[in-house]
Amino acid sequence: MVRNIWLSLVTLMILVLALFSINLLLAVKVLGSSTISAVKNKIDVNLYLKTDAAEDRILALKAKVSQLEAVRQVDYISKQAAAETFREKNKNRPEILQTLIELGKNPLSPSLVIKPKDVNNYNELIASLNKIDDDIIESRDFEDYQTVLVKTNNITQKASQVGLTVSLLFILITVLVVYNTARVAIYTHRREIGIMKLVGASTWFIRAPHLISGIIYAFLGVAIIIVILYPFLGLIQPYLSSFFYGLDFEVNILSYYNNNFFTIFGLEFLAAALVNLLASLIAVGKYSKV
Amino acid sequence: MIKLTNISKIYPPDIKALYQVNLHIKPGEFVSIVGQSGTGKTTLVKLLIGEEKPSSGKIIVGGWDITDIGPTAIPVLRRQIGVVFQDFKLLNKKTLLENAAFALQVCGQSSKKINSIVPQVMKIVGLEDKINRYPQQVSGGEQQRAVIARALVHRPKILLADEPTGNLDSINADEIIEILQKINKFGTTVVLVTHNREIVNKLRRRVITIDNGLIVNDQAVGKYIL
Repeated sequence: MVRNIWLSLVTLMILVLALFSINLLLAVKVLGSSTISAVKNKIDVNLYLKTDAAEDRILALKAKVSQLEAVRQVDYISKQAAAETFREKNKNRPEILQTLIELGKNPLSPSLVIKPKDVNNYNELIASLNKIDDDIIESRDFEDYQTVLVKTNNITQKASQVGLTVSLLFILITVLVVYNTARVAIYTHRREIGIMKLVGASTWFIRAPHLISGIIYAFLGVAIIIVILYPFLGLIQPYLSSFFYGLDFEVNILSYYNNNFFTIFGLEFLAAALVNLLASLIAVGKYSKV
Repeated sequence: MIKLTNISKIYPPDIKALYQVNLHIKPGEFVSIVGQSGTGKTTLVKLLIGEEKPSSGKIIVGGWDITDIGPTAIPVLRRQIGVVFQDFKLLNKKTLLENAAFALQVCGQSSKKINSIVPQVMKIVGLEDKINRYPQQVSGGEQQRAVIARALVHRPKILLADEPTGNLDSINADEIIEILQKINKFGTTVVLVTHNREIVNKLRRRVITIDNGLIVNDQAVGKYIL
């Protein structure tokens, strides 16, 4: 490594670039999945109840719905709460608020906001809700949600497929680049390898320095990428926060990396070391056939 | 010391580099193997160091049947045979001393042993004053002496010299042959592969002549006859 300092630097640089690209792809994937899961989390079903429904019957219905297998959470929005939310949403539209005052009474229905356990089992939830027969239920039209959910699922599925294809393609290219760089590094030592073989060096004696180099490259590559990546993520995090500002969920790529530090960088080290080791084994084997 | 029985080496499709070769070299002999280029001399060297395997026949080196030698046994074989090449095969980034020591280092020998053996061997080949020079800083003859030193550090029983004078002028070539003779006097079996008529005739030792993959002549005190 020390003797071929420039070649070592080039090998390391290519490894760092490859790891940087992989991490960029990972960050994009994390962003995508967070956004999609946040959208899915927002999908809920509103069960509108009659305006004159008694509080105890509503609570009994809430308890009944809560017990359903497909239900994760049920929130009761009373008439008053609905009116307050309505006023808050329309605080800048005095004409609408005026209409509410002119009506003289609260026209909004109480409702149960039902969140499914698993959005993919949405149909099961709808079927269960349809089975509940209670005359305080005013409306159980779930069609709009169904459409939204189907669209979301389609987008999610396509995004995952495209993401997976792009990731696999990218990883393949990265592996090939790193593999060939390691091979070129060993190619420059082919004469030395040949001479070592001719004077009686064992295959493992010849391989060992290259295998150790491969591990050192992988370690240094990951160490450098950590040093580069964290400031980079710190730089883009405010932009992400401002991009998602106003939505009820937060995407914090920095905390994602912090929480999964050892998994991400451990796996990257293992993968880089493995590719380097494989390339070293093959290349040394090829150039030591003397 | 070296025994070849019905050795053939045939490269695809049907190139007979060596064909039905029978050869017996006794311990302590100095044998010249001569022949024109492409007659199979280098193939013979490659067979003896396990670089190639014979298509048929049997090879015994130092009582060891190396006909089907495995990859893990090849290094062990090469530590018992010193090899000198025409193109030296020295590492330019190492000094002459380091090049000679390299053969012991790759076998995992201790520094103490290396430091005691290598200077002695450098003295035998007459390079004691140039041990810290790099290959490009010395003449071709001196480079070849360093190669001989490297081949000797294992204290081999056999020294194979494949065209050791091929890249040298006549003065340097003579010096190299003198060193080989000196090594032979110490008891090492020397196999000299060459097509240098003058050297072979001057040696007046056993000469084996190969032509088109066949041994066509084997004389105890021979001459270059082709």
